[in-house]
Amino acid sequence: MKEQEMKSRKILLVDDEPELLRLVRGILEEDGYRKIQTACNVQEGLTVWKNWKPELAVLDVMLPDGDGFSLLSQARSFSDIPVLFLTARGEDEDRCRGLGLGADDYIVKPFLPKELTLRIGGLLRRCYKDQLTLVHLSACDLDFQRAEVIKGNQRIPLTAKEFEILQALCRNAGKIVTIDQLCEAAWGDNPFGYENSLMAHIRRIREKIEDNPSKPVSLITVKGLGYRLNTEE
Amino acid sequence: MKSTVKLIQRFFMVLILSMFLLLFLNGVLVFVLSVNYSGAVEGGSGPWSAADTVSQSLSVQENGSYQLSQEGAQLLASANAWAILVDNGTGKVLWNSDRLPDEIPLSYTIADLSTAVQGYLQDYPTTFSAYGEDLLILGFPKSSYWKLLYNTFDYSFIANSPWILLGWIGINVLLILGIYLVTTSGVIRAVKPIVGAIEDLPKGNSPYVREKGLFAQLAASINRASEKIHTQDYALRKKETARANWIAGVSHDIRTPLTVVMGTAGQLEEDKTLPAAACAKAGIIRRQSQRIQQLVNDLNLASKLEYNVHPLQIKTVNVVALLRQAAVDFLNLDADDRYPICWETSPSLSVCLIQGDENLLKRAVSNLIINAKIHNPHGCSIFLSVQQKGNDCFLLVQDDGVGISDSKLEALKNTPHYMMCDSSMGEQRHGLGLLLVRQIAKAHNGKLTLGHSPQGGLEAKLQLPLRRDEAGTPPDR
Repeated sequence: MKEQEMKSRKILLVDDEPELLRLVRGILEEDGYRKIQTACNVQEGLTVWKNWKPELAVLDVMLPDGDGFSLLSQARSFSDIPVLFLTARGEDEDRCRGLGLGADDYIVKPFLPKELTLRIGGLLRRCYKDQLTLVHLSACDLDFQRAEVIKGNQRIPLTAKEFEILQALCRNAGKIVTIDQLCEAAWGDNPFGYENSLMAHIRRIREKIEDNPSKPVSLITVKGLGYRLNTEE
Repeated sequence: MKSTVKLIQRFFMVLILSMFLLLFLNGVLVFVLSVNYSGAVEGGSGPWSAADTVSQSLSVQENGSYQLSQEGAQLLASANAWAILVDNGTGKVLWNSDRLPDEIPLSYTIADLSTAVQGYLQDYPTTFSAYGEDLLILGFPKSSYWKLLYNTFDYSFIANSPWILLGWIGINVLLILGIYLVTTSGVIRAVKPIVGAIEDLPKGNSPYVREKGLFAQLAASINRASEKIHTQDYALRKKETARANWIAGVSHDIRTPLTVVMGTAGQLEEDKTLPAAACAKAGIIRRQSQRIQQLVNDLNLASKLEYNVHPLQIKTVNVVALLRQAAVDFLNLDADDRYPICWETSPSLSVCLIQGDENLLKRAVSNLIINAKIHNPHGCSIFLSVQQKGNDCFLLVQDDGVGISDSKLEALKNTPHYMMCDSSMGEQRHGLGLLLVRQIAKAHNGKLTLGHSPQGGLEAKLQLPLRRDEAGTPPDR
């Protein structure tokens, strides 16, 4: 998904604190988002949700006429857009309840503007990823729709495991992803003892995406901890 | 109920011992009594040997008369007894001693003699001895002896007397045991609920014992004690929960205004239209707000752990992956690269499983890493490793920073934290980071040890017990 396309998504903010609404709106507008609507309670939130049809919602847990959980459960009957919860509690129970109801992420108050924009951007990219297919690297492009590496005129196919590993790295582009997270992405919930297999896959991925696989510039090893994928915006 | 069994054993031992003691004491008593009341006359001999002595002391004179020696006369005098010598042929009295009562006849038929030797002569208890072919009868005062006249026993009864005696003792013992068991089982029945209630008290239960029967008063006292403990316990828990809730409430209510402060400061900090000095000031507000946020979070969790109102979400955790994730989270936020992390875990140790709360453990490890950053503002390398030894795993967070002096390290180990200090006097430790790590370690039956790192900085060692089926496996897995 192109940056411009992402920033044109409609975002609904529901919070009972006008100051906080103003702040979040300001943060998002500064980051380039233009289509933002706000609501102060459950009823107003539902009305805007139904009529305006937002593409992402940021909900506060505590609202004057109910809570964010009840708003989400009502909205889920007619909408399945990504939802981010703003919670002042941060208790495990609240997080699980929100995620169980179909929320896609949560952010605990207080938070920094950067954290909020990163979360919202990540959520939009993840949830509307069918339109996000091409990732630019130093020596090639990654086409996730076709599971191919485009190197000059050449198209090199990715295996299923290579695809999973590269997707996990792309979702966290520029950040270190641990060995365990990559193993989990490729081999599922009980990924113990796959470190050597992962190393073999990383070697093969480098052969496909790097100019010089022995001196990688896109897929960097962080010794003992994990790997980082450097993309080019 | 072990104590009840012990009680029964003790009672039984006491009973058996007291039975043997009683038998022994009775034997001694019978012996002493039989010695003291054997009816001995002066000189220590009994009435029958007295008759023999008198018989031997009597002698026939040349003129045919009889003479009692001085010794015999003294014996009779001391026993206040008298003696007669009855002729074998005629039944007439050949000699008699002094003090012969008037009613004693001087001539006897064979029938008279048989009665006399059997028991009494005119109600005077008698003994006798042979004097040649004649018979010497010794008479004692009427109330001096009581004689058994018809003491004839069946021969088989005497022959079997040892068995009869044993049977008699056995029946008595069984009877006593029966009576004992019936009475003690009643006592045990009454004691059992009381013992159970006392055993329940330290477990935090609120036992109730029926206030009836032998130990009604004791049961009432236990019930009162139980009620008092329960009330105090409830009040204490209520107080602790209220305190934890109060802190949780404050931490909740402070978050929204803090978001506005932090967010606005963050916006100002990145506003390119503002002068650099103003942006720097906004940065200070943002950093201090983040400090308040961290403090509020730590205080909330520390109070919940301290008052046991934080339920642990226990599951199997791979501490190698956990430490790696904490390191990566730290690195992903450390933009200026002043705190490089060196991963020193052996490559062969990729899995080290424990049972624990993943979020809490991650919080503990993150606190230790952040601690290294806070105390080394000019940067330092952080060395992370996991080791597996015996039944424990060790998470080591070391740095090559400024380190800590021995005196400060001692103070850190021994000075009580203000959250745990029960008096307002004396020195108290502040800062919640390490307290939280200690509390989390304690909640997982582990411990935190602080010391000097080999690199010259601080070393924090978090020791946690391995998952039970992992314990004892070789460390080089």
